[in-house]
Amino acid sequence: MKKLLIYIFPLLLLQPVLAQVDRSTYPEPGPAPEIELGDAASFTLENGLKVFVVENRKLPRVAFSLIFDRDPILEKDKAGMLNIFGEMIMGGTENRSKDMLDEEIDFIGASLSASSTSLFASSLKKNQDKILELMTDVLYNPTFPQEELEKLKKQAITGLAASKDDPNAISGRLTAALNYGKDHPYGETQTEATIQAITVADIKNYYDTYFKPNIGYLAIVGDITEEEAESLVKKHFQSWEKEEVPVHSYPIPGGPDQNKVALVDRPASVQTVVNITYPLVMNTNHPDFMTTRLLNYILGGGASSRLFMNLREDKGYTYGAYSSIGSDKLVTSFSARASVNQAATDSAVHEFLVEIEKMVKEGVTEQELVAAKANLSGSFGRSLESPSTIASFAINTQRYGLPEDFYATYLQRLNAVTVEQVNAAAKKYLKPENVYITAVGNAKEIEEKLKRFGEVSKYTNMADPEREIDVSNLTLSAPDVIDAYLEAIGGIEAAEKIKTAKTTMSADVQGNTLKMISIQDEKNQILVQRVLMMGNEVSKTVLKDGKATVSGMGQSQTLPDEQFEYLKMSMWIVPELHYETMGYTLASDGVKDVNGETAYRVLVTNPTGGEIANYYSTETGLKIKSEDSITGVITYGQYEPYDGVLLPVELSLESPMVPFPLAFKVDELSVNTEINAEETN
Amino acid sequence: MKKNIVLLTSIYLISFWVQAQNSIDFKEVTLDNGLHVIMHKDNSTPIVAVSVLYHVGSKNEKPDRTGFAHFFEHLLFEGTENIGRGEYMNKIQAIGGTLNAFTSSDITYYYEIVPSNYLETALYMESERMLHPKIDQIGVDTQRDVIKEEKRQSYDNRPYGTILPETMKRAFSEHPYRWTPIGSMEDLDAARLEEFIDFHKSFYVPNNATLTIAGDIDYAQAEAWARAYFEDIPAGPDDFFRPDVKEPVKMSEIRDVIYDNVQIPAIIQAYNLPPKNHPDSYALEMLSTYLTGGNSSLMTKELVDKQQKALGVQAIPLDLEDGGVFIMYALTNMGVDPVELESEIDKLLNDVRTNGISERDFQKLQNIIENDLVSKNSSMEGLAQNLAEAHVFYGGTNYVNEELDYFRKVKREDIQRVAEKYINLDGRVVLYYLPKSAQSE
Repeated sequence: MKKLLIYIFPLLLLQPVLAQVDRSTYPEPGPAPEIELGDAASFTLENGLKVFVVENRKLPRVAFSLIFDRDPILEKDKAGMLNIFGEMIMGGTENRSKDMLDEEIDFIGASLSASSTSLFASSLKKNQDKILELMTDVLYNPTFPQEELEKLKKQAITGLAASKDDPNAISGRLTAALNYGKDHPYGETQTEATIQAITVADIKNYYDTYFKPNIGYLAIVGDITEEEAESLVKKHFQSWEKEEVPVHSYPIPGGPDQNKVALVDRPASVQTVVNITYPLVMNTNHPDFMTTRLLNYILGGGASSRLFMNLREDKGYTYGAYSSIGSDKLVTSFSARASVNQAATDSAVHEFLVEIEKMVKEGVTEQELVAAKANLSGSFGRSLESPSTIASFAINTQRYGLPEDFYATYLQRLNAVTVEQVNAAAKKYLKPENVYITAVGNAKEIEEKLKRFGEVSKYTNMADPEREIDVSNLTLSAPDVIDAYLEAIGGIEAAEKIKTAKTTMSADVQGNTLKMISIQDEKNQILVQRVLMMGNEVSKTVLKDGKATVSGMGQSQTLPDEQFEYLKMSMWIVPELHYETMGYTLASDGVKDVNGETAYRVLVTNPTGGEIANYYSTETGLKIKSEDSITGVITYGQYEPYDGVLLPVELSLESPMVPFPLAFKVDELSVNTEINAEETN
Repeated sequence: MKKNIVLLTSIYLISFWVQAQNSIDFKEVTLDNGLHVIMHKDNSTPIVAVSVLYHVGSKNEKPDRTGFAHFFEHLLFEGTENIGRGEYMNKIQAIGGTLNAFTSSDITYYYEIVPSNYLETALYMESERMLHPKIDQIGVDTQRDVIKEEKRQSYDNRPYGTILPETMKRAFSEHPYRWTPIGSMEDLDAARLEEFIDFHKSFYVPNNATLTIAGDIDYAQAEAWARAYFEDIPAGPDDFFRPDVKEPVKMSEIRDVIYDNVQIPAIIQAYNLPPKNHPDSYALEMLSTYLTGGNSSLMTKELVDKQQKALGVQAIPLDLEDGGVFIMYALTNMGVDPVELESEIDKLLNDVRTNGISERDFQKLQNIIENDLVSKNSSMEGLAQNLAEAHVFYGGTNYVNEELDYFRKVKREDIQRVAEKYINLDGRVVLYYLPKSAQSE
């Protein structure tokens, strides 16, 4: 403080003396400003389309947004269709190819986008006729081209693959599946198979069923008068024909009868994504809507709420901790979540539960409630800055059957809520003893610590339960596992007699054949592997004379030592015979589930550090899977005998470069046949 | 794609540029202590945005004390001599406001949006943290933990999260842009309390700050309050450390592979850019729109729609005060070798460098830019930031009304010229993000 005075002193001499402000307390606020809700003009067309117009001339632009209000849809074996519908409908019209459509939208600097329940268009005022023409062309004349569907499926499958490594996406899938069940529209999971199953007919059928004016709401917002909007709407939407739309209902899921812990192992995680959640019923028109908004705000709605102040500002466990109580016509959920320090995972879960329990037992203070009201009023006020808010208020009022003055009296009703009402809501809606405690993180580090909160069930990154394995009788060492394998395929003696193998196998890639031809010659230490796509050679790998070369597409490359060593592991027809002599080290790594089959996992490390994990069935002794960072995952199916030795004739490859499995079948396999010199060049 | 263009009408060409931007009215004054105050009045909604831009970012840090500016972004929420620990956020939220802050390589920006009757409160609070924030060991220790979790959440645990730091450390060998605002956790661990306090004294002073007030205000009252709360804050020494480092031009490509916890390979190319207020920045912005802005853009159409080699592709001109980077970012589609996708990207880049763009495409770019600029200042929050940055980076606040003129000066040939000049395939950084694959623990 002294130092500051020294700074200020000379300044004071130079300046006119200012009226001193009192820094010890907050200034008194001015009188609260009137919050004025603008009006939306509205009318309904004969076909049932409800239209809302909000004029706002601040900027020379106009937006048209059309939404369809339908019941949720259970997609089952076509899960993922609704997600790609929006892009499908933008895939071209009877009047415009997709290229033309894209070009016309971009050329006027406008935007036009769609989802399974909406169409949204916006542009500068001067281009409003053009953008409406494009929007209605998409609405009435979509062609849903097959090639567009193929493209979108490919993208969806690639996106799904990416989501399997994203801790937040994994957490989202898991909590949805737990809260609503996988047989519920809000809980079902799209997979490679369900995406592949989508057809153009499915898309058309959806469009024909649900894109109807009688379930539509059209909002027009911006630099436009009601009269102008009305004449535009008549011109573009009047002849759209109405049709009855099916309704659907679903059972309302209940939460768990006691706390359950659900864990997804993501070994690469350096943090744990925690989400404490359970389903509940709440919607805008519910009598407890307002009280639950306030309750949640105080618990974890913002950066001054209890969860944030405790887990972040006090403990430093996380960058941010929040909670939410959703709002949905059908069913929604409570959620309290954070990405937390791995070592503090259990402490963080504990604090979450403590805060929820404390809220139930002790409720909120008057001061907290006043602050929460001010905050929610403030965000209500700020939302009015955007003219589209008024339009959504008008639409929600109709859509959810709200009282006409719902938004006009919003602030009044908010301010009327009492501490007792919030505390009653806390007891009714917060259920600290009936929650799913979900965690996505490194199971090795966190699984044990989570057991104190309830029974821990493990799930896959696709939210399917992981199978439990009884390991008490499965105690073979790594060398024993290898011996059992060699015994299972026909014995060491028989296996050692196989010196060469020529294999041709093929897989189907979206209607085209991918062929792999390989020659293994152990005596001369040669491996040749050729990959052919529709008969054309795509790549060729040759390991010979102590070096390895990969060529393809006119280029050729000699591989560095580590990759040579790695490839060498594939030169052996039965590599397990050579692990010892080649100086590979073996390590046992427990018992795992491989697609429903129990297997020993053995880690094999070559002299340059390259590592492969092999899985050997505990029942048959056969190798059923192997994985490494270069090839990816190979799953072995059926084996057949060749000269008394079982070799795999079906194998599926999941490469990091190809996000769907390639299922190879052996077309030809011959062992101990002569290899010509030409074949290995 | 070309042949469809013939089918399109040319009506839209005529109306081009007719629409003038609505002029943005503002008042500004520089206080005696050097604080620059900008005010904009808009009474249509009873809210006001208050922001303070400190002209300090990660580029003002010492190489062994990276992450300081971002650390301060957190610390300055801890409280002041008159505002208790943790109270800052509580107070703003409890008066119905919202607040946040961000740190870039160049600036640290704090803002709050409050109901307009609380303008004086917001000004009082911002002045408090400029005058005498509480920087103590408890705050430093807590925020250090928080920032570590922020880094884990936003970078280490997030697929592709490390792209920016990995790119910047290769794109810059000399300039402090070689580290990003999140900085190094080791540096933060090593820093002592006094160092934090010194850093604050050097940069978080009125003569290095811009105060912006935008919304439902009365100019005279707003200025009177700004003076009352800020004028008595002492100025700091004017010798701000601003790096004067010329990043040497790269003569050869830097190429690396990063194995990350991802499933889909990503390609990142980075090309060094001129300073953000350089006249070529406008053409570069248009170039990025030409390459990937909108479904009809060159690369989206060719690589995502037609060849389907990419899941998505984006050109991002990351413009910085001393010259940032133009980033090309692409994710491969299933089964596509990133080498193959990259060679197609290069082919298209070379095409623009060699052949330029068509007149029609140039008109499309102008239309898109016009639409973007009209929408740019639609919220008080966005406008406050644009006004402050105009003053700090573009030589004057009125730049917000002149930006369109600068874009208008760009000629069609300029797009090709800047592509040739800056998108230099020989002196770039290329990173591949490849999957570690099915984790073998």
